[in-house]
Amino acid sequence: MFGYVVRRLLQLVPTFFGATLLAFLVIQLAPGDFVTRLELDPTQDRESIANLRQQLGLDQPLPVQYAKWLSGIFQGYLGLSLSYKTDVWSVIGQRILNSMVLVVLATLMIYLIAIPIGVYSAIHKYTWPDRIFTVLAFLGLAIPNFFFGLIMLFLAVWLNDLTDMRILPIGGMTNEFLHLGNMTRAAQWLFPFALVGTLVYGTLFWLRSRRGQTPTFGVWLGLVLFGVSSLLMLAPLLQGPGLPERLPYTESPLWARVTNVLWHAFPVVIVVGTSGLAGLMRVMRGQMLDVLSQDYIRTARAKGLSERVVIYKHALRNAVIPFIAGIGGLLPGLIGGAGLVEVVMAWPGITPALLEAISAIDVYVIMGLITITTVLLMVGNVISDLLLAWVDPRIRYS
Amino acid sequence: MPNHSKANTSAQSRSFFQQAWVRFKRHPLARLGAAVLLVFYLGALFADFLAPYPEEKSFRDFSYAPPTQIFWRDENGRLTRPYVCASERRRNPETFKVEVITDCEKGRYPIYFFVEGEPYRFLGVIPSNLHLFGGPWLLEDKAKLFLWGADDFGRDIWGRIWFGARISLTIGIFAVALALIIGIFMGSLAGYYAGRPVTFSIGVLNPQFWRFIRANRPVDHLMALLGLLLLLGLVWAMGQGYQQYIRPDLQRVSTLALAGLGLVVGTALMGMLLYFLVWRSHLARALLWLLVWVGVAWLVWITVYGFLQTSRGLEAVLAGLVGAVLLAAIGYVLLWPRVEFDLDTIIMRTVEVLAAIPDLFLLIILSVLIPMEVPPAVRFVLVVTILSFVNWGGLARIIRSQVLQLREMEYAQAAQALGAGDARIVLRHVLPGTYTYLIVAVTLAIPGFILGESGLSFLGLGIQEPATSWGLMLSKAQATGITAFTERPWLLIPGVFILLAVLAYNFLGDGLRDALDPRTKV
Repeated sequence: MFGYVVRRLLQLVPTFFGATLLAFLVIQLAPGDFVTRLELDPTQDRESIANLRQQLGLDQPLPVQYAKWLSGIFQGYLGLSLSYKTDVWSVIGQRILNSMVLVVLATLMIYLIAIPIGVYSAIHKYTWPDRIFTVLAFLGLAIPNFFFGLIMLFLAVWLNDLTDMRILPIGGMTNEFLHLGNMTRAAQWLFPFALVGTLVYGTLFWLRSRRGQTPTFGVWLGLVLFGVSSLLMLAPLLQGPGLPERLPYTESPLWARVTNVLWHAFPVVIVVGTSGLAGLMRVMRGQMLDVLSQDYIRTARAKGLSERVVIYKHALRNAVIPFIAGIGGLLPGLIGGAGLVEVVMAWPGITPALLEAISAIDVYVIMGLITITTVLLMVGNVISDLLLAWVDPRIRYS
Repeated sequence: MPNHSKANTSAQSRSFFQQAWVRFKRHPLARLGAAVLLVFYLGALFADFLAPYPEEKSFRDFSYAPPTQIFWRDENGRLTRPYVCASERRRNPETFKVEVITDCEKGRYPIYFFVEGEPYRFLGVIPSNLHLFGGPWLLEDKAKLFLWGADDFGRDIWGRIWFGARISLTIGIFAVALALIIGIFMGSLAGYYAGRPVTFSIGVLNPQFWRFIRANRPVDHLMALLGLLLLLGLVWAMGQGYQQYIRPDLQRVSTLALAGLGLVVGTALMGMLLYFLVWRSHLARALLWLLVWVGVAWLVWITVYGFLQTSRGLEAVLAGLVGAVLLAAIGYVLLWPRVEFDLDTIIMRTVEVLAAIPDLFLLIILSVLIPMEVPPAVRFVLVVTILSFVNWGGLARIIRSQVLQLREMEYAQAAQALGAGDARIVLRHVLPGTYTYLIVAVTLAIPGFILGESGLSFLGLGIQEPATSWGLMLSKAQATGITAFTERPWLLIPGVFILLAVLAYNFLGDGLRDALDPRTKV
């Protein structure tokens, strides 16, 4: 096992060099560099342009520039952004974080929804709900996510016009001003319900554990959902009444900013996650059907186990194995797929940053964005491989 | 004879593809997908006939005009032949907005079917002026007929959808074909030579080196010399051809097609010369690999030298050390060991590298390489090239795994025992076994290419004006801000077409997979 881990990690090294070299070559092959645009400007004199080029290291041969960049990477320095005249990380760090918000939320959504639906479809094979889920899955796989994003925006504008309220956000990640008063009132109104829910599920949980039964998935889910939401509402309840009605985003308390970002993320995450959700739903259904036709399931049923135990204890645990590995396959799709949606829905993520950097030929920003996403992907793949090797005893690591 | 053939196709003795056809026909969704695709491709073929206006006809006054209202009842409320009314852009007296206002008092124009209209050339050759619908008033421009509204330049969206289908629907096929060629080549190389390393170079001082050189007849060396001369001549001729014929006339499609043909033929000829003449001679091979190693050493030298000039301290010391080690390693390789490469490892590592960068980002940075001022046809070809460059890895993986299995089959080994060459075994005995697998893989890959193209065009990096594609048309929906576009939902129609095309291909692929799976019974 240890040997396998080491080998898998060593394999990353040539891939990293290859991928960064490829990206670097492609970017440098594009006509012109950052300074070319200044040459067209008659007010700039030749000498200062040549100086600038030398200063930025753009006059060096390509392999030297690549080696320079690499040595910077090994020292944890991503290079200098040519258009912002500052460290690349300070330009792209926030952007990468913004995209990660989408990717993490979308992954959560996909797993939380795809597995139950897949299991349900497999158990109730060829019934009407299964057929509806199948059709929806086909649609979800086929719809171009930027088109879906446009439809979502369309829906948001239409809904907001219809109700004369801001129910769904229209693009962007934050508002300039946050309406703290509304948030506080909403929290005050919703808090009793969340508290009651938490208490009910907590009691259920307590009763079950006192009787020595393991709590079911539904109880866990309800407890976590209600508990987390009532905890989240504590902050506005305690702090909200003392604050003014409206505050600029930057001066608002953390809970208000998080709520605002989550509200903006909600439609974007749905759009980003749809195709992955549709795909995994189908995979889960197929896996579950495969497992359910195995001999040991028949044995389990024959010895008189309840259908619940057969499905959740014998079938689901085996059917879910490829899903754990699926995270690795999901990430590239999510990061790439989030790209077009980010552009459509004005989410300040990686892809809009990449497009800006490309139009400015800001080489090191482009390289930084591509390198970091590539490394994230590679690490994600390794983690899912290792998880799979750890979870599934049938896989040999030789 | 007819009787005989009928007896042959009875249920007992259907061929594999006949059985597959029967299975395919029983798949309702696959039939639906095939039907939708048939309609789309026919629509693309007959786009000139379906569209009332030519592709680039624009009416500046009618930008973002809504779908033209079609009336079925005359002024007395009786059913009549459908007609449209004259319309113009002016200020609405009630809302004070500038709108396209239809006014039936100014003229009613009946719509006729199969009428004469703007002349066009069907398939680029046959002159015609027949259109599906319209009327003489359309030519005289008395009234407009925008079935699905107009875009920002006041161009008919219904017509442009069919013109755009020509690009959106064929780009997937072309790209998949190119990716398939690369994928088959790389995949079968990797699969067939997996575990059998190819000698790349042998050190000069190694006794094996001299044995290797002497293993040839002198004639082979002469032939190699001839081959190298021919190669030089070919390169010179290609350069001359480019300078003389292609470069002066880069804007014409026929010239570009000629250039593409020349490039393909030239590359193929070069490959053949290299393989049949130069590669046979071990001396020439030794010279080639010496050249390669010296080139690598030169590259390392330049890099380290340039690097040392601009750095100091620990960085410089480390760089000097790395450079010295690399150069020493190259020197050692030139002198002593036998260097062997496993083609499988190299190709599969390359595929991994391509897969490591998110597809969209690779597409975006590659699309920057397309020069701005190229004619639409060249742009189309370059977009196809980019798409297939990014996506050949998946197909290569599939083919490699298949070839890896099939090369161990008894018939492949029998062919080898009979003395067949590697190329013949792969092409005649191994690859045909992968056909059914490939058909399904290709059908399911096409929608990915369609989505890739439309995404790229949506960002403005793929197909560009004046040509059109569905992705490009969809990008107009957001061109003037988010709030404005709820007033013109017809700009979203191209997205529906992308959705339908992708859906149809997915259905078709699913049906083909079930039909071509020999395990399912007829």
